[in-house]
Amino acid sequence: MAISFTLNGKPQTVDVSPDMPLLWVLRDTLNMTGTKFGCGMALCGACTVHINGEATRSCVTQISSVAGKKITTIEGLSVDGSHPVQQAWMEEDVPQCGYCQSGQIMSAVALLAKKANPTDADIDDAMSGNICRCGTYQRIRKAIHKAAALQSGKAKSAA
Amino acid sequence: MSAIIARRVFLKSSAAAGTGLVLTFHLPGRLASLPKRAGSPASKPFAPNAWLEIAPDGAVKIWCGKSEMGQGVRTALPMIVAEELSCDWQRVEVLQADLDSKYGEQLTGGSGSVRTSYENLRKAGAAAREMLISAAAEKFNVDRRECRAENGRVLHAKSKRELAFAELIGSAAALPAPSDPPLKPPADFRIVGRPTRRTDTKLKIIGAAQFGIDTRVPGMLIASVERSPVYGGTPRRFNADEVKSSPHVRAVFEVKSAHLTHQFGETSGPGSRNYTCSGVAVVADSTWAAMQARKLLKVEWNEPPSASETTASLREKMLRLTSEPGTVIRSDGDFEKAHAAAARKIEAVYEVPFLAHATMEPVNCTAHVRGDSCELWAPTQIPGAAAESVASALGIPRERVKVHVTFIGGGFGRRLIQDYAIEAALISRDAGAPVQVVWSREDDIRHDFYRPAACHVLQAGLDARGRLVSWRHRGSSPSIETFYNGTGISPQAAAQVDSLDFPAPFIPNFRLEFAVAESGMPLGYWRSVDSSGNQFALSSFFDEAAHAAGRDPVEFLLSTLGPARKMDLGQNRGTLDVARRRRVIELAAEKSGWGKSLPGGAARGIGIGFGWGSFVAQVAEVSCNPSKGTICVNRVVCAIDCGLAINPLGVEAQMQSSVNFGLAQALKSEITVAKGRVDQSNFHDYEVLRLCDAPPVIDVYIVPSSDPSGGCGEPGVPPIAPAVGNAIFAATGRRIRRLPIRAGDLRDG
Repeated sequence: MAISFTLNGKPQTVDVSPDMPLLWVLRDTLNMTGTKFGCGMALCGACTVHINGEATRSCVTQISSVAGKKITTIEGLSVDGSHPVQQAWMEEDVPQCGYCQSGQIMSAVALLAKKANPTDADIDDAMSGNICRCGTYQRIRKAIHKAAALQSGKAKSAA
Repeated sequence: MSAIIARRVFLKSSAAAGTGLVLTFHLPGRLASLPKRAGSPASKPFAPNAWLEIAPDGAVKIWCGKSEMGQGVRTALPMIVAEELSCDWQRVEVLQADLDSKYGEQLTGGSGSVRTSYENLRKAGAAAREMLISAAAEKFNVDRRECRAENGRVLHAKSKRELAFAELIGSAAALPAPSDPPLKPPADFRIVGRPTRRTDTKLKIIGAAQFGIDTRVPGMLIASVERSPVYGGTPRRFNADEVKSSPHVRAVFEVKSAHLTHQFGETSGPGSRNYTCSGVAVVADSTWAAMQARKLLKVEWNEPPSASETTASLREKMLRLTSEPGTVIRSDGDFEKAHAAAARKIEAVYEVPFLAHATMEPVNCTAHVRGDSCELWAPTQIPGAAAESVASALGIPRERVKVHVTFIGGGFGRRLIQDYAIEAALISRDAGAPVQVVWSREDDIRHDFYRPAACHVLQAGLDARGRLVSWRHRGSSPSIETFYNGTGISPQAAAQVDSLDFPAPFIPNFRLEFAVAESGMPLGYWRSVDSSGNQFALSSFFDEAAHAAGRDPVEFLLSTLGPARKMDLGQNRGTLDVARRRRVIELAAEKSGWGKSLPGGAARGIGIGFGWGSFVAQVAEVSCNPSKGTICVNRVVCAIDCGLAINPLGVEAQMQSSVNFGLAQALKSEITVAKGRVDQSNFHDYEVLRLCDAPPVIDVYIVPSSDPSGGCGEPGVPPIAPAVGNAIFAATGRRIRRLPIRAGDLRDG
């Protein structure tokens, strides 16, 4: 079944089974491996993408449900790491193994789009669906605060 | 050639026609051998050894011979090479080394990457630097001793002349390579010891880092494997034809169990149980197709005797074994006599469960078997064992297995076991195509090689002045060592306790015993191995002893250690540095404000851990709400003495990582067994730490040191669980003796 949507700003059509999760369409059909498989049950957040701006777990999102919608993946944030959240991640040296970080960054970008200056409680609420087994949580917190400052122009990037 | 260079021994150098020169180093375990190269025009890169290359434009490539799984080896190890090379760090590009004997031992584990690589990497960088200096001295026509290298240039201060490395590589390549180059005094370090951001961050924030699961090979198929629910079972019958008719499915077949080569090179003896889990593979065009078709599989299994094991039956066995004498691992003085005479006695039982690694990147491997050769793309901590295991399973020479090491999405010891590489190779052979085996999270939780469950019975006696005079520790657990090496190994070798763990050498009448508890569960190395559970028992029970003595836990630790000194362990077992142990305890206590009251009923607890060449003390600040059963770790102060910290920013990251990893064990994770099967399956029932559970602050203090570098991946894990347990006791009077901590542990009933 042919399904069309907007992927990282460009029109995209795929011909796959309508119940195939968006995650596997991205990874296997479109060969975009930045979005990660972690649990298959929306429990870990590694597969987080934006659908019409909302942070969404692509592992449980059937491809048929995204027809006509706008999807952004980690590859669509910036190609050079220049997005303020990516910059903050660089400056705080956040990733360790890095496997969960696409999902962490996508969740953080969605949070900051809604709350320009999130509190620690806001960060807890928005980010606790994204597991990091390396335990980069303290640096993620700092990086989100830094990204908020970068986005509002209060801080200059040093990276 | 200058006198300095001439005095040195030249191992092997070749300036014949070709592109470079040969330099070999003795590496742990084997000799590095390199293809012969000779005298190069500057249009070719300068590649004096396996570890580095300088391009004609001055860009530097440095190879990392260990696996990057988050611990930062692709930053710390190249820093060591770059330091001695004296190049511009900003111009360094780091590349991953594939499996190749020229890189020496490529095992990444035991918190050993820096410790085992430091000298060789320094020599590699220094040898290249010396060659560049000699080339510059020749061009300047001065004594090479008047020249020095700095930031990618060789300088002659007297004449104020300088040449960039790029201008020197052609002539440097024609020079002989020193085998024993001078190394920089640490006071001259410009890169090592400076907080340095990771080299791999950019790839990881734009989604471009290639993990094992991101491998894409032309014609590659995906396999999903239904494994025996009980380790050691085999498929008796399954509906291959029905599943094969599913869309996009190419093949359905049995994957037989194969022997796992012991990861540390030893041979498996009788009674060893190290084999891959057998199962049924569904091979399809895509991951989704393979996973969907697998749901249609109906498999009848032949079950092994361990299909009767339960968490309760193993617990009962361990409790029985610890109620009677075990194999004596250490005995000092006369425990029975001293304990009988002690003024105050305490006893407690500590228990920890099986644990899964639950790396974020699910287990996977890509293999392409062609005739008598195999190519692997493996997220592996031990590419050598991958090659060996696969060669043995396929019946091909080890040299015919090529291993590409990918980024690893979390290791923690899981990727020391190469079952998944064997699986991928066997399936590729039988499918006749390159195959990527992708484990689901359920596969990962249910078919891990688990941290063994354990039981510890501890007894201690105090004299009238509140000093520890007797201590007995009886431990029991399934043994990782017998799992891999067989039941023929000595009981001492099978023991999952360490005769040097504190407070062993500090109690006059001390006894440590261990008994192996048989279990059918597959076992493996989990970040910090048996220390992860043992230190919970030891640091918690030590805290019990402090309270029984009516003494402050930090004061009690320090007075039990005694004055700062080098303590002779006797029997040619070397010395133990008491000063370094004391210093981290004092530092953690001081920085945490130990002894000062905390608001709102919060309290502190301390945990310690010494090992892998490093010393760690952690203080946890905890708030509890016993009626709600909630525990909040508000802040952790971690003090580490890891000798020379190559990258302090990386050490800080590893300590924060270790605390969070250890907190998952303390507060969340547990694997239970029923009918030989693991009960848990995914992150809803095998819980790990989430951001909302993580302490808002983990302050890391690194003791400045020029002692040899210690490990950092593991020593931060064991202390946190007892630190939290001890803080809970301080806050509530409830003693935590079982992990993970449950809500009910905070209240009566």
